[in-house]
Amino acid sequence: MARILAIFAFVLAAIAADQQTPPRAPDGHPDLQGIWSNATITPLERPSDLAGKQTLTPEEATVYEKQVVDRNNVDNNRKEKTERDVALAYNEVWYDRGTKVVTSRRTSLIVDPADGMIPALTPEAQKRVQETQTWIAEHATDGPEERSLAERCLVWRTAGPPMLPGPYNNNFQILQTRDQVVIFSEMIHDARVIPLGGSPHLASNMRQWIGDSRGHWERDTLVVDTTNFSGKYSLRGSDQNLRLTERFTRVSPDTLLYEFAVDDPTAFTRPWTVQIPVTKSQGPIYEYACHEGNYAMVDILAGARAAEKKTAK
Amino acid sequence: MLSRWATLFGAVLLLAPGPLPGATPPGAARVSAPQKWTPPRTPDGQPDLEGVWTNPTLTPLERPAEFASKEFLTEQEAADYVKRVLQRVNSDRRDGGTQVDVDRSYNEFWRDRGNDLVADRRTSLIVDPPDGRVPPLTPEARKRLEERRAWIEEHATDGPEGRSLGERCISWAPAGPPMLPGPYNNQLQIVQGPGYVAILNEMIHDVRVIPLDGRPHVAQQIRQMRGDPRGHWEGSTLVVDTTNFSGEASFRGSDANLHLTERFTRVSPEVIQYEFTVDDPTAFTKPWTARIPLNKTSERIYEYACHEGNYALMDILAGARAAEKKK
Amino acid sequence: MLAPANAQNQTYKAPRTTDGRPNLNGIWQAMNTANWDLEGHAAQAGQVVSLGATGAEPPGLGVVDGGEIPYLPAAAQKKKENYANRLKLDPEVKCYLPGVPRATYMPFPFQIVQTAKVILISYEYDGAVRTIYMDNPGPAPVDSWMGWSAGHWEGETLVVDVTGLNDMSWFDRAGDFHSDMLHVVERYTPVSPTVMNYEATIEDPQTFSRPWKINMPLYKHMEKNAQLLEFKCVEFVEELMYGHLRKQPSK
Repeated sequence: MARILAIFAFVLAAIAADQQTPPRAPDGHPDLQGIWSNATITPLERPSDLAGKQTLTPEEATVYEKQVVDRNNVDNNRKEKTERDVALAYNEVWYDRGTKVVTSRRTSLIVDPADGMIPALTPEAQKRVQETQTWIAEHATDGPEERSLAERCLVWRTAGPPMLPGPYNNNFQILQTRDQVVIFSEMIHDARVIPLGGSPHLASNMRQWIGDSRGHWERDTLVVDTTNFSGKYSLRGSDQNLRLTERFTRVSPDTLLYEFAVDDPTAFTRPWTVQIPVTKSQGPIYEYACHEGNYAMVDILAGARAAEKKTAK
Repeated sequence: MLSRWATLFGAVLLLAPGPLPGATPPGAARVSAPQKWTPPRTPDGQPDLEGVWTNPTLTPLERPAEFASKEFLTEQEAADYVKRVLQRVNSDRRDGGTQVDVDRSYNEFWRDRGNDLVADRRTSLIVDPPDGRVPPLTPEARKRLEERRAWIEEHATDGPEGRSLGERCISWAPAGPPMLPGPYNNQLQIVQGPGYVAILNEMIHDVRVIPLDGRPHVAQQIRQMRGDPRGHWEGSTLVVDTTNFSGEASFRGSDANLHLTERFTRVSPEVIQYEFTVDDPTAFTKPWTARIPLNKTSERIYEYACHEGNYALMDILAGARAAEKKK
Repeated sequence: MLAPANAQNQTYKAPRTTDGRPNLNGIWQAMNTANWDLEGHAAQAGQVVSLGATGAEPPGLGVVDGGEIPYLPAAAQKKKENYANRLKLDPEVKCYLPGVPRATYMPFPFQIVQTAKVILISYEYDGAVRTIYMDNPGPAPVDSWMGWSAGHWEGETLVVDVTGLNDMSWFDRAGDFHSDMLHVVERYTPVSPTVMNYEATIEDPQTFSRPWKINMPLYKHMEKNAQLLEFKCVEFVEELMYGHLRKQPSK
């Protein structure tokens, strides 16, 4: 806990912005409202070649940024009409993978544990994850259930919760009143209405894909506590016992510090915490009618069926 | 409780002087008695029609051929007629053999025929046209009915659509509207709340909740089996005006253009005079009117869960399929 | 947010009918998913694939006081079987009368026509109807789907005692059921000009270990010229029930 607070203070100090008191919303609390983006090239976990290095120097950061942006650029060395070209799908213009590391130049979004890596899974979780991966490897195109939640247009990690950077459309909008806060994520037009009035969570038999969120203010930080996950959306191996705590603090006119703590003792051998400074975005939020335009799913499955017929012949 | 009686008495005293206008329906040669009796009022001021009423009578809708020129029977003629009819329809007879017995279905105990003619011994319930008969159908209506009859003849047991709406437990023809006596359970209950008159027919637990506030009928594309009723008071007569029929529950050949007008006048503590006019120019060559008294009964309405106990329809169809297999 | 229990809203006094009683006349409807499942339930896929999302089950917080229906062990087993076979067994599928209290929270409006001696409730669903006798009608002469209702006033609340219910109706689409020992006491309490609180106490010693209650607001229809329309569903289920007996059976 002390470690987290230390990191928190470090981050706050590192953010190059005027330390003004945040503007207040009509409900009297700091105004978190606006359209935000969490795109960043800092990865969730510390890359292996940076093991042991908690922060980059400004020079290293510049080099790193150039390297990553270059590496991510799908239009580099892209020969038209090859299988690789098709497999790469979108051109670079569609992606929104960030251009900068986080302002603290930390080498991972994970701030705890100190090694910047997701803690080990419990044996049960390992087994579960392994079995799922094995199944999917063998049955990858059997049906919609074997495709990713994103491909199925069900849940995107950009919205979560927790909200993680994704390949594109990393935008979300916050609205707040005295009684609730709404986090409206562009992917996939998901609005989490978070009551602030202290009402209890849903009964334990009611499970939801994105859990059940309740919020409250701790001084200038909005704390959102989410339980009742069904486990069908698994965050790197999490299960239905996940208890997620998110914290939102406006640290400058253009930055929101977003932190989340993952506590899931049946899945992870210890809790872990992530911090992402989130920056103001221009907006507006556009409609992402994923399912309504989901040709990909039909084509993936139809293509697999066609390929099977071909091999059968 | 006491205050309610006081209100009733007060209302009657206030209304006591003279008969009410509009009490004598037009087009009638003779009515039961010129209305001298004034109905009490419900708490919100409507003439009181409340209670459970029933309408079985041996007077037929149409004047029988044997009475072609007679509008009313004498007492003796009436007595003879009643005796003859009761003998003829008696389903407790055991003449005719087994099939006839089965076809007679319910024993007399179940039936609710009534045991007399209407009080004024008119030879038909129809009061207009004067010949006491339903006016001729239009050519289109005749064609439509003939086609339907021919289809049913061929397909009577092919599926549920070949059976009557009553056998299908969808709607009970005698409950209409208009409301006429049926083989049994002729009870109806009238409940008057503020701004509404509700008519609950025991068959088949069907309620018409009739608004009195002068609102228009529903949009013309909304058609209902029992139409869409609107009510208003003309003096002591409740006039119910019904349109938007779907035509599915055809009354004697009526179609979706039926405009039905019903009139309810309480003429004594025990009797509501019920009159209806059928106006359906694409089905009948002229409008026609019938009148039948509703008599108060102390019975309560019971639940007629027709569909929930509809073994008959299942058995009719299954029987037809079995008979086909046999061939 | 649910209207709080009676005690808190005892302060509201509804306008009176001419005979001095709270005026419950009007067209009302529940706005919840109790008809899907009285207990709290998450959303789930429907039973008929071709209906897609239109046949899927919406979620609901539940309307049972205390959350769970207190089934006796044998009855709990039967409920499980009912649930597993609900597409075949739910009487609503066959357009059977809904019974009490289910009629109240069907997803259809109902109209109350209130007089001193009789309160008639006309339900749009299947033209179901109940006559609540306010004049001590005595015991039920026979069992029926909609029961035998005797009503009286307790201050601002209409209390209806329902007996004579047969055992053939369900409480919801999730297989919650009862025996013919069912005894229901309903309480209708206006809490505002357009909201009425509805509470039903369910007692059936053959099925449940103790009496239990459901609670929900009923909302008045305020649109101009609101009226019930026909929902004569018997016709809509003929193919389902008799299709196999047709001369030319449908597939």
